[in-house]
Amino acid sequence: MGRKLNNVLGAVTLALMVVALWMIFAWVPTEAEQGIVQRIFYFHVPCAWVAFAAFAIVAVAGVFYLWLGGQIWDDLGYAAAEIGMLFCTLMLLTGSLWAKPIWGTWWTWDSRLTTSFVLWLLYGGYLLMRAMLEESGQVARFAAVVGIVAALDVPVVIVSVRLWRTIHPAVLVTRQGGHGLQDPRMVVTLLVSITAFTLMFAWLLMLRLAILRTRTRLDEIARAIAIAEFRAGRA
Amino acid sequence: MSAFAAILSKDLRLELRSGVSTIAMVALAMLVLVVLVFALNPGVARGPEAAAGALWIALVFAGMLGASRALMAESENECIRALLISPVDRATLYAAKLAASAIFMLVALGAGAILTVLFFNLEFSGALVRLAPILILGVIGFAALATLLAAISGRARGGELLLPLLVVPMFVPALIAGVRASTAALSAAPMATARDWIGILVAFDVLFVTAGYLLFEHVIGQE
Repeated sequence: MGRKLNNVLGAVTLALMVVALWMIFAWVPTEAEQGIVQRIFYFHVPCAWVAFAAFAIVAVAGVFYLWLGGQIWDDLGYAAAEIGMLFCTLMLLTGSLWAKPIWGTWWTWDSRLTTSFVLWLLYGGYLLMRAMLEESGQVARFAAVVGIVAALDVPVVIVSVRLWRTIHPAVLVTRQGGHGLQDPRMVVTLLVSITAFTLMFAWLLMLRLAILRTRTRLDEIARAIAIAEFRAGRA
Repeated sequence: MSAFAAILSKDLRLELRSGVSTIAMVALAMLVLVVLVFALNPGVARGPEAAAGALWIALVFAGMLGASRALMAESENECIRALLISPVDRATLYAAKLAASAIFMLVALGAGAILTVLFFNLEFSGALVRLAPILILGVIGFAALATLLAAISGRARGGELLLPLLVVPMFVPALIAGVRASTAALSAAPMATARDWIGILVAFDVLFVTAGYLLFEHVIGQE
């Protein structure tokens, strides 16, 4: 998985992203009731998908780290948590922009908003914990545990918050079953956008992993140099 | 005497002789209630709904104080090292620490509940008896999370800062369920309305006690 593969992935992501943008702004028909603002949906849903996928990866990487060990699992969890946090923030922002004209408010304690916000807080805590414990030498194990516990929390959050209150539109699976996208072009646009975002996620993840791996290598080199200098000084 | 009972009785005896944690937790719970009464004004800060919310805020704050104290006390004289050297498996240690913090929290919340009745214009009645199991469930869930995560936050400089950032978001589902169930209990509504909420609390407790029991060995000890 060298740099070449990563560059190819980056190029494909860029191309597909351009196609997705064209589809979202030029090709797909405007939704009848909500008007132009509904187009943010094609950003909002892929961001949500990437955020949830990233947080799932954090938990899986945590399990594998505790089970098998290996720096790669910790790097994977770290990288996924960072990118997940980014897309979770984007999901909350795009949702908020849409909610102002449609619901008449920037923020409301709707069930999915609340769940997403709790997720945002959970993984914000995870990243802060990593930052504060970076030098302890045990941050990988701590991160694995927090990642697993946070993922266990997610279903309970979803159930309790849904019981609490909801007004969120159910577009993908409506309450009558089936989906709420009237025009087939809307479905295609959403799928292309989700694919583009997923590729972008994969690309960012690979880049971040490469950086983390380089950092580990640099630490090893720095340690080796320090040991060599110490020995030379004593000789 | 089993290892669990030995560690638990050690913690309880220590607390009976000094009383520091429990007194601090009771005082903090009381302060939270007083702050809420002033923040909301007595006109709003009355009745079952406000009282249930206030009591759960007190639970969160008192619990956080208790959890960071419990591990601080162990690390003060390197007692934690002795505990880890002793032939006790980490899961038992977790269970004993969890039980001890839950007991201290319950004492603090018992006092908090009585003060809530006084401050929020409620009646001393059967409602308090119905409230008890809900608070016990909440305390177990909170202590389960906080005991596990305090072992992590305790390693960081300024760990007292980190603990709430980790625990409070994770406690959200129990908080929602607990406040709703407590409101139902205090307002003498039929308990059937609270059944779902109590179910969530039970599920939360089972989930995180089990998770803590299995994961504690990964966060404690081993330099």
